[in-house]
Amino acid sequence: MRRWDIFCRVVDNFGDIGTCWRLAQQLANEHRAVVRLWVDRLESFARLCPTVLTDAAVQDVDSIEIRHWRSDFPEVDVADVADVVIEAFACELPENYLAAMTRRIVAPVWINLEYLSAEAWVEDCHLLTSPQPRSSLTKHFFFPGFSARTGGLLRERDLLKTRDAFDSAAATEFWSSLGIAPQKNGEIRVSLFCYANTALPELVQTWIESRNPIVVLASQGAATEQIAAILEETLVPGVSSCRQALTVHALPFLPQPDYDRLLWACDVNFVRGEDSFVRAQWAQRPFVWQIYPQADEAHLVKLEAFLERFLEKFDHSDVVRRCWRAWNGRGDIGSAWPEFVSNRSLIQQHGEVWAFQLDRLGNLANNLSYFACGK
Amino acid sequence: MSVKIAGDITSGNVLIVENQPVVVLTKEYNKSGRNAAVIKVRMKNLMTNRILESVFKADDKLEGVVLEKKNCTYSYFAPPSHVFVDAEFNQYEIDSDVLADVEKYLAPEMTDVCEVTFYEGRPISVVLPRTIVREVEYTEPAARGDTSGKVMKPAILKDTKHELQVSAFVEIGDKIEIDTLSGEFKRRCT
Repeated sequence: MRRWDIFCRVVDNFGDIGTCWRLAQQLANEHRAVVRLWVDRLESFARLCPTVLTDAAVQDVDSIEIRHWRSDFPEVDVADVADVVIEAFACELPENYLAAMTRRIVAPVWINLEYLSAEAWVEDCHLLTSPQPRSSLTKHFFFPGFSARTGGLLRERDLLKTRDAFDSAAATEFWSSLGIAPQKNGEIRVSLFCYANTALPELVQTWIESRNPIVVLASQGAATEQIAAILEETLVPGVSSCRQALTVHALPFLPQPDYDRLLWACDVNFVRGEDSFVRAQWAQRPFVWQIYPQADEAHLVKLEAFLERFLEKFDHSDVVRRCWRAWNGRGDIGSAWPEFVSNRSLIQQHGEVWAFQLDRLGNLANNLSYFACGK
Repeated sequence: MSVKIAGDITSGNVLIVENQPVVVLTKEYNKSGRNAAVIKVRMKNLMTNRILESVFKADDKLEGVVLEKKNCTYSYFAPPSHVFVDAEFNQYEIDSDVLADVEKYLAPEMTDVCEVTFYEGRPISVVLPRTIVREVEYTEPAARGDTSGKVMKPAILKDTKHELQVSAFVEIGDKIEIDTLSGEFKRRCT
């Protein structure tokens, strides 16, 4: 069995550790790999996976060894270096570990798992080597993506089957587990996971004035805090807040499997960053993406690159484009939202076709494992 | 050796990659996630002439090389090498296969001053002046009346037999200017 070391630095939020944890689980569960996950901020990890202890230097969770990646990284024996070493999102490997990699007789397969982007340049850089003069080792860049010339997206083997089995009874049970009543006829359920967003006050106003009842499930953090500020109310899990057509439920922090259920149970999902963005695509529900904001508005180029691919074969692409752009600060969300939500069944059908296309690319863990085995 | 930050390298820089000197041909800068960047570099191995493509993080530290360069003139061909001579009449033999892009312009008696680059005392590449003048040995007769320069026809250079496209008004025996970077005809010399 091959040994894998995954190094993850939590820069901000939960995207880094969310992706690494999914990858670690998939490699261990589906590829019989021996996986060690090095994480610098265990408290962030524990939010996603409540069984993680925040004060343990070493612990096993679901057959994966979790190591606390401290700044004073210990000396590493050559025998302790894994066969495959992943540096997630271009994080720098610890010097001691890198030195041990260099001393290994058979060099480990060293992979930089990059950020997800739909831009065309990603295809030209996927799997290219990166010779490292300091270590005399060669690293490989591995890009997730949306085409056959990239590494694909993370997706567990049984994810789509589990999603398909999630029927209305399962949805009712899920809502009940959160202390929320089952969905009523005509009611639109919206999950909201976002960064600070200047379009949110206008969107909330549109929801308040909506003809249909809108039930918003606000994730803990920026979503709940902003809605609370807009409504000038304190929002806590277990207590709902109502304003005309709008009802808001503040959610507790959901572990990853429950977050998937939330996406499956809602009519529209607002997602952000990378991990929830990918899960929303597998959920096959209409979704609106807030991309991670970057300097010089580089994120807007990435947003357009994704829209280009995603909407290529969709006749009502402008409806989605307008709403997504407005949600990312380029347009009027007040007029874009009603148009988006009234077309949601067509958008959903398109989402199903899109997910089918993505599924045919293979999934990232398989592609990564296949690449590492060939080295 | 010098340290080169990947984000700062430019075309023409020489680096040591996998213990081999390479010259950077092109560089692409792409913004990745958060505020990181990925640098894609196309390089030529100066020892083997092999082209390779690699990627780096923008803040990767690479090994740069400050190479010795000398002005030389072309002397003669002694298979499989071409011989160049510097101002002190030192002779340098350079393998023909390393000169792939240059060889087609090397002619006996040529007076162009060439820049020869050395790596550890060994000549590894030759750069011709950006513009050189060569004589046309053969081309089809000039097309009557067309002096626009837009209509092109093939021509063969004297000595090297290299073929390139020239304006239709160029005739046998004409001297023409050639851009050595693009390999294209520039103009007919008066």
